[in-house]
Amino acid sequence: MKNKKFQADRVRSYFRIEWKVLLVVTISGLIYNLGLLAGPWFEGQMTGCLVNILQGSDHFTDMLILVTSYVVAIAVVQISRYVKRFYVRRFANNVNRRMKEILYGSLVSKSRASLRKEGEGDVMTKAILDVDDCVEGMRKFTTEIFDTGVALAAYAGMLLWYDWRLALLCMIFPPVSYTIAEKMKRVVQKTGAAYKVQSGALSAATLDRGKNASTYRVFGREQERQEAYEKNLSDYEQSAVKANIWNAVMPPIYRIISMGGVLFILYFGQKNVLGNGWSSWDIAAFTTFLACFVKLSVKSSRAAKLFNAVHKAEVSWKRICPLMKQKDAQPGAAGAESCELEVSGLTFSYPDGKTVLRDISFTAKPGQITGITGAVACGKSTLGKVFLCEYPYEGKILLNGEELQEKQPSERNGSIGYLGHDPELFNDTIEHNILMGDSANAEQYLQEVCLDQEVAEMEQGMQTLVGNGGVRLSGGQAQRLALARTLCHRRPLLILDDPFSALDQKTEREIFDKLKQNYPDTAILLISHRLYLFPEMDQVIWMEDGQATVSDHETLMRQIPEYAKFFAEQNGGSEYEA
Amino acid sequence: MKRDGQVRDVIGNTIKEKKLLSGAIVCTVLGAVLVSLVPPLILAQIVDRLTAGKDVTAVLMLLYFGMLALTGLLESVREGLLIVFGQKITHALRSRLMKKFGRLTTDNVNRQEPGTLVSRFVGDVDTVEKLFTSGIISMFADACRIVSILVVIWFRNRGLSLILLLLLPVLFLFTRQIQKRMLAAQIENRRAVGRASAYVPETLHNIRTIHCLKKETYMEEKYDQYIGVSYQAMERTNFYDAVYSPVILILNAVVVAVVMLLSASGNGKILTLFGMSAGTAVAVLSYISQIFRPVESLGMEIQTIQSAIAGIHRINEFFALEEKKEHPKSTGVRATKEVPFVEFRDVTFGYEEHVVLEHMSFKVMDGEQATLSGRTGAGKSTILKLLLGLYEPLEGDVLIHGVPAVQIGEEERRRLFGYVEQSFHMVPGTVRDQITLFDERITESQIRKAAELTGLQDAIEGLEHGYDTICTPELFSQGQWQLLSIARATAAGPSLLLLDEITANLDADTEKTVLQALNRAAQNRTVISISHRTSAKMGKIIAL
Repeated sequence: MKNKKFQADRVRSYFRIEWKVLLVVTISGLIYNLGLLAGPWFEGQMTGCLVNILQGSDHFTDMLILVTSYVVAIAVVQISRYVKRFYVRRFANNVNRRMKEILYGSLVSKSRASLRKEGEGDVMTKAILDVDDCVEGMRKFTTEIFDTGVALAAYAGMLLWYDWRLALLCMIFPPVSYTIAEKMKRVVQKTGAAYKVQSGALSAATLDRGKNASTYRVFGREQERQEAYEKNLSDYEQSAVKANIWNAVMPPIYRIISMGGVLFILYFGQKNVLGNGWSSWDIAAFTTFLACFVKLSVKSSRAAKLFNAVHKAEVSWKRICPLMKQKDAQPGAAGAESCELEVSGLTFSYPDGKTVLRDISFTAKPGQITGITGAVACGKSTLGKVFLCEYPYEGKILLNGEELQEKQPSERNGSIGYLGHDPELFNDTIEHNILMGDSANAEQYLQEVCLDQEVAEMEQGMQTLVGNGGVRLSGGQAQRLALARTLCHRRPLLILDDPFSALDQKTEREIFDKLKQNYPDTAILLISHRLYLFPEMDQVIWMEDGQATVSDHETLMRQIPEYAKFFAEQNGGSEYEA
Repeated sequence: MKRDGQVRDVIGNTIKEKKLLSGAIVCTVLGAVLVSLVPPLILAQIVDRLTAGKDVTAVLMLLYFGMLALTGLLESVREGLLIVFGQKITHALRSRLMKKFGRLTTDNVNRQEPGTLVSRFVGDVDTVEKLFTSGIISMFADACRIVSILVVIWFRNRGLSLILLLLLPVLFLFTRQIQKRMLAAQIENRRAVGRASAYVPETLHNIRTIHCLKKETYMEEKYDQYIGVSYQAMERTNFYDAVYSPVILILNAVVVAVVMLLSASGNGKILTLFGMSAGTAVAVLSYISQIFRPVESLGMEIQTIQSAIAGIHRINEFFALEEKKEHPKSTGVRATKEVPFVEFRDVTFGYEEHVVLEHMSFKVMDGEQATLSGRTGAGKSTILKLLLGLYEPLEGDVLIHGVPAVQIGEEERRRLFGYVEQSFHMVPGTVRDQITLFDERITESQIRKAAELTGLQDAIEGLEHGYDTICTPELFSQGQWQLLSIARATAAGPSLLLLDEITANLDADTEKTVLQALNRAAQNRTVISISHRTSAKMGKIIAL
């Protein structure tokens, strides 16, 4: 597997890396397709032998040898066919898997900003679908190279060997039928497109009748709509017949045309047998030749499929190719054990130019919990996201004296834990959602976020599947599960954006106390719109219009009337939800 | 039991109506089967003549090719006719389904999920077509083919036909087994593929968490694991796919070998069963390979039929839904001074167990304006629905100009009622179609008058194609759509206006515009409205 020359953006590489499988395919393919000649040949021989036995010149044992070798030959050929088919598909599966892994690998390492902004996410999703088409084409190509290419050559060779003039004569017909089929393709495509339009119209009309049924009934339009629908049906019927009839009617016709050579075979073949033709044949040769030709003309209709498959694969490959880049493995640099945070003169604008944060400065030490709050759209969430370095900022964010923006992503992610509004859960079990492949005691983290009781009550406990995006959990459960996951992947600086919004006060306080107690070395930035925990914060940042006032709860209560009002409002109505 | 809506009957009727077409299909099916038997027999003749050292006549050669060509032609015609016939059936079936839909009780209509309706009308009906084109008829053809080949072989090589009679059932069971397992593996594979492809959008959605927790490698490994599962399921389908044909063909060879051997045995007893000439040997070889193919198709056809039966079942369920009662439609409902425009006479009504109205009576005279008021669920909307004849009262009478509401014919509805719905239902088509609802009797000037009344004319004429602009949801604002629904209600100049509560969230300004339009529309008309904010001006109150 470790082929140094493997280039993800070269189709050949995929063939090369699978050489073992392809070797099996080649050997079995050759045996199978060349062996196909054995069928007609033996059948001819057996007929000939039967004639001889009837005339008394051959014996039963001759026939016994013949039929035994016939069955053995067919068995060998058919077993090779099985091997070939099986391995061609395995080859396709391997390539499919490899391509998807490469695509997925580059997808997962792309930044969120580029995935969102440039629609790269969609492009990648489509590319992964394209892989199926492309590999399907590669598979058909590999299959048809043997089944059509080798087989046709073998049949043609055999015909030529028996009587080259007659062979050339009767081999005119299959290409004729192929050419006609190609010509018909345009009609087929045109009527097919018209059919698609009509079938869309029919679905739309049906949907309309379903959606607006009561309107039509109230306004007395049902009769008229039914008549209009009838017209839709008639149009659909017409276009469906037109589109499908060619595909149904033509194949037998093509077969008749390619079988035209049979007339020549009968005419010249009998001459050969009777001894006044181009070659001298016996009955065996005659029937073999005829059987061979029939197989050739059936096969030749498949040639078109080969070209179609290759063409389709090319189109999808062109789309995927630029995305096929193998990423270099990044060593996962471990972050520091604890960190001192120093933010100074931080100013941030989104790429569209809107300035959200202006000149913010503060520090945070290990074990400190900093509360960040402010009105809606004051920039508090953005302040949290800036630490993810998804977009460049101005000013400084120093972690243990090192500039955050200059660190490698993997090192940065090793120092900062972030949990946003969206719990971003995976469609997997609760345990896997917490551990995500790590080995730790998930139970402990469930306790820390006060979720252990609820999980224990679930039928399958920690093995409960949370559903797509966590739909099977309540909002509060999902939030706590995401928090447990964040805690499990411990980082010296933790940024939590409104992690308690769906929780009741009691639980919120309980979790808060546990956080304080269990993570004495972690600097925590807690962004929240609910303030009743704020009196216990080591530091409080009040945000307004992108600017920050850094102080503590008491001071802010005195100095910032909005903060005081905010706090009072929430403590007045204890179940206040913004 | 009324059964005229059943799928079976639709098919039966189509066959009866298209006698010629159905006859032609039967002819081509049988014809193709019979004609395809001939070429090997002619070939046998040719070979026998050659063995005897005689030359082959041109007639025999032409006959051989001619029969091959005729088989092809018949097959071609058969396939073509089947397409036409299949489409005729789907047309008839859909047409009947739509008629049924029009006859359903209002309750049942409302219960039909539009998306499900489409899958019933489009998807399920298509399976019925498949049932015909690639199910029953080809099954019949394949069965005919097997039987006819067996018959021919019976006369040519009795022993072989006995062997085949023993072998074919086994072969068929083997085929079915393989196909069933393959289907199971395919379903599993599809599920696995679905999981793997759902993983990509999930990754995109959760990319921040993945980066933050440095889980790129973990995610890649898991993706690989998902692909691995689908890979395994696929290997299994590959196995069945790859193993089937070789088994069949080896079996084919064994049968050929046995027949050849026995006919060369020289034993008199055996030869009475297996003896044959060289020509017959050639013919028999070709028949043996011909008889194995239909067995394989038979299996596929059974699968098609099985999946179609589920579709037929669903369609028949739809046909079995309750229909509304037919009433003799009255014509020419006329206003008279003595008879009230609307009268509820001791009406009781409920949905299933739940009674909504009990012994309700009221009258609204010509030109009067009335407002229904009451809390949610008191039955305000129900009264409008009874008035519109959508439902029938359980007891009592709902009369419009003295005629029961359910007896008012389609033609008269728009002259009598203008119903402004809770929210606008856009129909596919132009702005004009929204107003007329495809009613060609509504004149251009009526359309313009309705637009003017609602104050929409400027907005409509400002569009690039004016009234002929194709509607999309973005074309108008919510308020404008609501105005359009007033234009729709008033276009045909109804004498009674029914106003349902408008549920759309409109801002204060828009709401004012809509209310003004409603007031204009209400002038010189009998109006029954549901506790709208204009109620102050809307005459008498009917409390619930």
